[in-house]
Amino acid sequence: MKLGLAAAFLGATLLAGTASAADKRWDGADDLPVNPLACSAGEANAAPAAKLYDGGKPTNAPDKAGKPITLVDVPKLIGIGYFNATSKGMQDAAKALGNVTVKTDGPTEAKIDEQIKFIDNYITSGVDGILFAANDPVAIAPVLKKALSKGIHVVGYDANSTPDAREWFVNQAEFNGIAKAMIDSMAKEAGEDKGFAIVTSTFTTPNQARWIAEMWAYAQKCHPKLKWLETVEAQEDNNLSFNQATTLINKHGDKLAGLFGMTSVATPASAEAVTKAKLCGKIAVVGLATPNAMKPYVNADCVKSVVLWNPVDLGYAATYVMRAVVDGSLKPGATSVEAGKLGKLNVVNGSEILLGSPFVFTKQNIKDFDF
Amino acid sequence: MTAMTLAGVGTDPRRRLKVLASQEALLAIAVIGLAIAVGLNNPRFLAARNLSDVLLGNAYIAVAAVGMSMVIVSGNIDISVGALIGVLATISGTLAVNGAPIVVAWLAALVAGVVVMAFQGVIIAYLRIPAIVVTLGMLSILKGGLISVTGGKWITDLPDSFHLADIELFGLLPFPVFLMILVTILAALWMRYSASGRAIYAVGGNAEAARLCGISQPRTIVMVFALHGLFAGAAALLYATQLRVIQSTVPPNLELTIITASVVGGVSILGGVGTVVGSTFAAVLIAEIASALVFIDVSPYWIRAVQGVLILVTVIADILRRRRMAGA
Repeated sequence: MKLGLAAAFLGATLLAGTASAADKRWDGADDLPVNPLACSAGEANAAPAAKLYDGGKPTNAPDKAGKPITLVDVPKLIGIGYFNATSKGMQDAAKALGNVTVKTDGPTEAKIDEQIKFIDNYITSGVDGILFAANDPVAIAPVLKKALSKGIHVVGYDANSTPDAREWFVNQAEFNGIAKAMIDSMAKEAGEDKGFAIVTSTFTTPNQARWIAEMWAYAQKCHPKLKWLETVEAQEDNNLSFNQATTLINKHGDKLAGLFGMTSVATPASAEAVTKAKLCGKIAVVGLATPNAMKPYVNADCVKSVVLWNPVDLGYAATYVMRAVVDGSLKPGATSVEAGKLGKLNVVNGSEILLGSPFVFTKQNIKDFDF
Repeated sequence: MTAMTLAGVGTDPRRRLKVLASQEALLAIAVIGLAIAVGLNNPRFLAARNLSDVLLGNAYIAVAAVGMSMVIVSGNIDISVGALIGVLATISGTLAVNGAPIVVAWLAALVAGVVVMAFQGVIIAYLRIPAIVVTLGMLSILKGGLISVTGGKWITDLPDSFHLADIELFGLLPFPVFLMILVTILAALWMRYSASGRAIYAVGGNAEAARLCGISQPRTIVMVFALHGLFAGAAALLYATQLRVIQSTVPPNLELTIITASVVGGVSILGGVGTVVGSTFAAVLIAEIASALVFIDVSPYWIRAVQGVLILVTVIADILRRRRMAGA
């Protein structure tokens, strides 16, 4: 029994490796190319290679430019705070535009087969456009293509389909944008030359690995003195995240000035660990999370920045994009689109509209969100 | 005494006692030895704060492992406990946010735990369906049901008074740690000294002989599962009240960690042998290893491998021990 333990530890220690060259990416980052944004907002970003429009096109869509249109919004599911917020943004946009009616309808559970039925019914009953957030990018494609073939305009938001099954997709945040918001917040709250650690789901989870790689790239470029201590895995497990964050605090002591939560589970759990250790204000917690889970910590001044996007703006932008498509002002090859109070939004990746910089929830605005 | 001699493993109770004691002693030595080894590498590991955090964050596993140990000693297994803990946490949290008195929210988890587990016990004992099949079915029902009912929506805005795990007794002993120690001691004494506690060993060790001695096997199994449900309820409360958010999903792999604690604690997977003192020590050891891996910069991926090694070593030792006794 003791032997087994000793052997396991010896093996583990040998395999753990020691490399930590300066140019080595942080643990948990992927190996894909990175594209860090400019350090300050004023500088121009390096334009990524232009990509041709790869969205679909409706067949013989009636010309309704400038005329009233009726839209249906079919989110992943209805009745949760997040999609209530996107729905509110759509109503705001409809009111601002004056010639759009939009109705949100969809399954009460995030089930793709249910979602397909809803879309199919609206194709039959007839609408001018469909807004969707896909439960499954591939499985939703046939029904969306059917809508296009009936002359119905299709625009996605939040969760994409395969590009050719819709015309445009409103992308809430790019990896390098999230990365910049995270690192900038950490440098501001913890200090430019302080040490931090990362709590992620697993080293191979695609989105988290992408974010960490972009965070590494942006930190190298814009905050080179920030010191990465380590990354730990906590899956999507609340209590494991809490235990891991607690262990990091106990292990590094004063050297640890910040914790990044890479998942909506890890961030509140890290905040709880800092709260329980009575180190609020000494250890900054910055991370991706939803406002409801973070309200206790933000209101207690233990967490200052919760990075995400604003779902109200997302729904608002999706509606403006749909109007522009119908009006013919947003055509394949366009580089930007006007979106009311949000101003001009850029086209990226061929057929995606970027919502803009991520949204940072703070004590001042977090009470306005319920998801 | 009858139950002791019928327990099936050897006829000399002193010898069995000695062997069990050595299993627990081994675990205690491992817990202390590991602390010293890691402490030499990084003295911060031995800080009171860290040691208490290791216990605090994992006490719920030890509490659940007490019930699991009883189930395994009785010759059964339960793989639904992780899902049940997720469900009980959600029930309790939902009641608390909807304004039910906090005590009611707490009791609901305990009562629901007993009901679900006793129900499974009845099916296993009276319909004679293997526990692994019944509890696998329940695992699916609970897991699927939880996601369907909650839609995966988290419970937030829990009232402060709900947070049982935040209570510190005498201003220093965290409630989860207190509960872990209390439950372990009470269960250990009950299993060792009461007739109904010993009946568990008898049923798991040699069911036929137990029956001949007038011990009702079905009733004992239902009792064991009902108790296991009570401990699962207590574990769910610690689990639910540690953080400000209840995830409304089933904690991944929790049942495996709990079963590992029991087995590594010396509870024989073949039934009839083991103590809850062992399983609590093992739960502490596993938690300590998880923390130690971070301290010595080893990927926490290794925790699964280390757990696997611990299980294999313990099971092989158990089998060898049985062979030696059978031969003696």
